[in-house]
Amino acid sequence: MMEDLAFIGQIAVKSSIAVLLATLGEIVAERSGVLNLGVEGMMLVGALCGVAAGVATGNPVIAAAAGALAGGLLALVHGFFAITLRVNQVLSGLALTILGMGMTSFVGRPLIGTPPGVRLRALPIPGLADIPVIGDILFRQSALAYLAYILVPLCWFVLFRTGTGLKIRAAGEDAAAVDAAGIDVNRIRYGCTFVGGLGAGLAGAYLSLSYTPGWKESMTGGQGWVAIAMVIFATWNPLRAVIGAFLFGGLTALQFYFQAVGIELIPAYILKMLPYVLTIVVMIVVNAGMGRRRFSGPAALGIPFSREG
Amino acid sequence: MTVSVPPVLTLNSLSKRFGDVYANRAVSWTLQAGRIYALLGENGAGKSTLMSILSGRYQPDSGGIQLKGRPVHFQSPAQALEMGIGMVYQRFMLVDSLTVTENILLRGGPIHLRANQDIRHIRELAERYGLAVKPEMTVRDLSMGERQRVEILKLLHRRADILIFDEPTAVLTHTEIEGLFAVFRRLRAEGKTIIFITHKLEEVMAVADDIAVMRRGRMVSQLPADKVRSRHDLARLMVGREVILNVDKPPVTVGDPVMTASGLTGPAGTSRPAFQDIDFDVRRGEIFTITGVAGNGQEALVAALAGLAPLDGGTVTFGNHTYSAARWRQRPASGMAYIPEDRDRTGSIGAFSLVENYILTQLNAFGRSFLVDRHQAEQKTAEAVARFQIRGGGILGPAGHLSGGNLQKLILARELSRRPDLLIAEQPTQGLDVQATEDVWQALLRQRKTSAVLMVTGDLKEALSLSDRIAVMFRGRILDIVSARDTADIDRIKLLMAGIEAH
Repeated sequence: MMEDLAFIGQIAVKSSIAVLLATLGEIVAERSGVLNLGVEGMMLVGALCGVAAGVATGNPVIAAAAGALAGGLLALVHGFFAITLRVNQVLSGLALTILGMGMTSFVGRPLIGTPPGVRLRALPIPGLADIPVIGDILFRQSALAYLAYILVPLCWFVLFRTGTGLKIRAAGEDAAAVDAAGIDVNRIRYGCTFVGGLGAGLAGAYLSLSYTPGWKESMTGGQGWVAIAMVIFATWNPLRAVIGAFLFGGLTALQFYFQAVGIELIPAYILKMLPYVLTIVVMIVVNAGMGRRRFSGPAALGIPFSREG
Repeated sequence: MTVSVPPVLTLNSLSKRFGDVYANRAVSWTLQAGRIYALLGENGAGKSTLMSILSGRYQPDSGGIQLKGRPVHFQSPAQALEMGIGMVYQRFMLVDSLTVTENILLRGGPIHLRANQDIRHIRELAERYGLAVKPEMTVRDLSMGERQRVEILKLLHRRADILIFDEPTAVLTHTEIEGLFAVFRRLRAEGKTIIFITHKLEEVMAVADDIAVMRRGRMVSQLPADKVRSRHDLARLMVGREVILNVDKPPVTVGDPVMTASGLTGPAGTSRPAFQDIDFDVRRGEIFTITGVAGNGQEALVAALAGLAPLDGGTVTFGNHTYSAARWRQRPASGMAYIPEDRDRTGSIGAFSLVENYILTQLNAFGRSFLVDRHQAEQKTAEAVARFQIRGGGILGPAGHLSGGNLQKLILARELSRRPDLLIAEQPTQGLDVQATEDVWQALLRQRKTSAVLMVTGDLKEALSLSDRIAVMFRGRILDIVSARDTADIDRIKLLMAGIEAH
């Protein structure tokens, strides 16, 4: 029984890391007022570039960094449309996803089936990994998982305890007020959009270098959309993003478990739906139950800023 | 005025054009440190544009600015603030979801958050200038007066020594205005220069040292305040012709109550008092006014009466029916017309044409079945535009292009055309110029011949000029209802607004 629990837990954490990284990035972007629905596309580009850089260099650090950077650069395309040209952000984000999917399918064909060059294997942390159950679940993961553990409190700290975070949150609430305070709203938004892309790109690289090593077309399988839903589930708070991501990972792990033991208590399709159902439930609770006291999203989310109003 | 002191700020022949229209034309102005300047002019006279140039929001097409003898060019508000010129806009530039401290610290460059130390510094500044506000409060829980104090603190924290205010009193009540003027005087004593835009002549007389008047983009007059003998002088300067300031109030026989409110209680707010135990009636032939310091429940009360917010308890009698608190919102919509405070958003749709806005609240009057009778709608709108002298674009142009006064007249024309039994007018002349204010006042006085008028205003002069009876609200309750005819003294109402019940 304990072994089953440790097994499910370990898979759950493993399955939650990509969603967690992408969610963290999107939280930063959305907190600054930029809605980027291109997460799925950025993750795919990150996954492909991670594999490509791994094949080319054989260096895992460069591979992961290349994935993150690719996501960040693609995010800047969205930034240019959404921030500079002030295009509808929903349209621009959707276009980014479609672009990412099409481009990676096309460019990635030669890489299908080839070994990824590098693999980020589980890296047990000495000492901690030997704690019963918890050690198995948390500390026999890949390096990117440990990075995610650090990024969660880091994102929270930057957003809520530093001057930079204050500017980011303010830009997402009332851009005109931030501008009047002498802060360059668009610079902040570009920066946060880029960080959002880094998160998504890194999430993609995690999938293609560690979770299911190697490149496959559309290998993200909708995890980018899950991440966007998880931002709302987390009510734009990095700490709560952990809960959302782990829920998603847990549901995925249950699917594996049912497969492994050969019984299906809950159909896999229902499990796949649950993250979205939970998100809608959270939205209803936040909007209806708690009134204005609870945070229900940055007020200026998706609204481009221009000084002329 | 001594000539030897060099001016702190000099504007040399500033011009700014939007399209073919000159918003500012060769405007020159010299300002001394440690003085309070009132900038007067009707809506559209170019005051806001001039101040936007000074504060770095706009760049002038020609002309220059000299600050302490040196020519300066501002590319952004941040640069102007860096040089010591800060502006408090009419729409406050505060982030509602952040605290007072966070809003004050928000600025370009690195910010170091050291909560306790920051709060202490803000408390010190607040104390020194008499700007009472709690640093740890969230801005959305503050009254308009408190938000304005936060704006001033923001500028002082950034060491601004020229402070510009765009119609700072428009959102304030009488007591708050006096508080603001006390702050002005204290700032002046510290050597700061104050420029404030206003429409209200008595404010100019109360606090300004110098007066500048703009008309159609030009600076038409500059003079020390003590040279002005009467408000009539000023009004003439502003409008260029004589305006009537004493409202002619024809007597009207007061009829039966149109609306009777008894025991009304509003839902409990999060931090602000809602209202409770509200009893009053409004009769045909009278203007019944509810006044009070902003945030004492009158906003929530009028929203509930207009059916925009729920009631918790009590009954409302209207049109021979008595409704329970729960049923009030479901009553038939006829018989009541409402002029909301926020004319830009609640009162009209800026992107829609004048015609579309005109028929918005009375679609049934212009429709046979499903289709709107466009011809009739345009004809009625044109009539209203002519009758109420609504200027600024054709009837098919967007309502958003109208000035505040003309938009208010359009809304007024629309609501009056529904021939209501009760007209609810909320802050009907807030932010309007002298001429528009007078037009609106005349329309309201005319309306009371045929219906009851319930007015909610924080402008004491307006309340006294128009009302037959005045109810004063404090902390969610009506303290007293006084007859406007019997009260010669404003002081009693002022005391009531401050919560002091004289015996």
